[in-house]
Amino acid sequence: MKDIIIPAAALCRELRIAVGCFLAAVAVNAGAVVAYERPWTELFSQIGYVIVIAAVLYLLLWPLRLLGRGACLLGRRIRK
Amino acid sequence: MKRERQEESGVDLNLRRFIKNLGYIAGGAALAATVPWLSACTPEKLQEIGRRRARVALIGTGSRGQYHIHNLKLIPHAQIVALCDTYAPNLEAAHALCPEARVCTDYRRLLEDKEIDGVIISTPLNMHAPITLDALAAGKHVFCEKAMALTLDECKAVYEAYQRTDRALYFCMQRMYDEKYIRGMQLIHSGLIGEVVGMRCHWFRNADWRRPVPSPELERTINWRLYREFSGGLMTELACHQLEVCNWAAKKMPQTIVGMGDIVYWRDGREVWDSVNVTYRYSDGRKIAYESLISNKYNGMEDQILGNLGTMDMTRGLYYLEEDRSQSGVRQLIGQVRDRVFASIPAAGPSWRPELRSEYMPHPVIEGAVHVNGGQNMIGVDEDGSDVILSAFCQSCITGEKAENVVEEAYCSTVLCLLGNRAMEERRFIEFPDEYKIPYMKF
Repeated sequence: MKDIIIPAAALCRELRIAVGCFLAAVAVNAGAVVAYERPWTELFSQIGYVIVIAAVLYLLLWPLRLLGRGACLLGRRIRK
Repeated sequence: MKRERQEESGVDLNLRRFIKNLGYIAGGAALAATVPWLSACTPEKLQEIGRRRARVALIGTGSRGQYHIHNLKLIPHAQIVALCDTYAPNLEAAHALCPEARVCTDYRRLLEDKEIDGVIISTPLNMHAPITLDALAAGKHVFCEKAMALTLDECKAVYEAYQRTDRALYFCMQRMYDEKYIRGMQLIHSGLIGEVVGMRCHWFRNADWRRPVPSPELERTINWRLYREFSGGLMTELACHQLEVCNWAAKKMPQTIVGMGDIVYWRDGREVWDSVNVTYRYSDGRKIAYESLISNKYNGMEDQILGNLGTMDMTRGLYYLEEDRSQSGVRQLIGQVRDRVFASIPAAGPSWRPELRSEYMPHPVIEGAVHVNGGQNMIGVDEDGSDVILSAFCQSCITGEKAENVVEEAYCSTVLCLLGNRAMEERRFIEFPDEYKIPYMKF
């Protein structure tokens, strides 16, 4: 079986994207707290929902990123 | 064991706990506004009666009478001294439950007995008014099963007799003493569900409502609920409680009544309907939609008070809010997104879209105390308020104090039941008759 090698740069990028998704989900939760006049403790108590939202965002980014990657490759080929 | 503990304390623990749970001491004034009838049985008054006991006699010892015997045996300030019934098997069964009590077959003999403080009437409906009137005339305190009477004129006669007497009179409107109904009503009157815009009550069963008859000549005696000379059918037997709750919530009486009743399934010689639909309309346009059917039980029993901000399901002790702000912000947001994504109709406005019932989050009226049993029962199968109202009656037998509004509420709900029957019988829209109005009623 062939070993799959993930370069450190790719790992860092994925980590940055995941953290970005998590912060976005925290922002959504904070927005909801303000919009629905709920206590700020929900920033912690609703962490489960935040993690789920972050995961959904991360997964939703995949097709967009694939499209972006595809567009880049296509652009390079055209330039060549 | 429980009985021994209660006897040792000399007071009725059930009643004390109930009143304490309601916060009588802390919020007495607010509570008194919702449930003035509890002012006759405060913890202080309960202390005052000490070890005195009410000597009570039961008239009517069928299933309900025997149920009262079980409850009375748990009330320390109650002593069953006599039993009366014309049907020997019931009398024997009741006597087996309390062998120390005397037995007789003529209730008038009981009423002559000076040793008896109060009587508990659990007879067929047609005997409620005659026995109540005789008992009050004999100077006895009276506890009578609902409904108040079989006819409107009898109701008026009982009400007027009560106005003249200094004796206590209770009708077993147990929802008035049911903790979750009281809590629920406090929440309704505090504006939790907004403006009360309608009431929806139903009672569905799938049973013939019959009891086994040992010989044919006893058919009408045992299955008295099925015959009009004894019973008002589904309205007086079931609707009576529910209509009382509606008026309690609305704080007024309906003015007009229309309905239809039929025998749709149990065509077994019975005279009362097995399917009734009655609409009661208040002067401001609000309505009670009442329905009862005993050949399908899918919907069970429900007393729903509908407000513009929410719904109170009194039977289950739960309420539901139209816009539930008690959920976390992020959950509300997700719900809103979900509704927008899955419920929007791009081609036209939403008015023609069928609005199937949404999933509402239930909130208990009493935190941590709700046990739902398929809509058949409430918080605690045995604690539906029947034991508390009986205990309050026994207390009144000792103190002589009347319970405020109990008779009036029973009168109002019974009259509405009987008017519902009249509307169905005559198949017409009827106005509340002036001759049966009492000062307590607000229209």
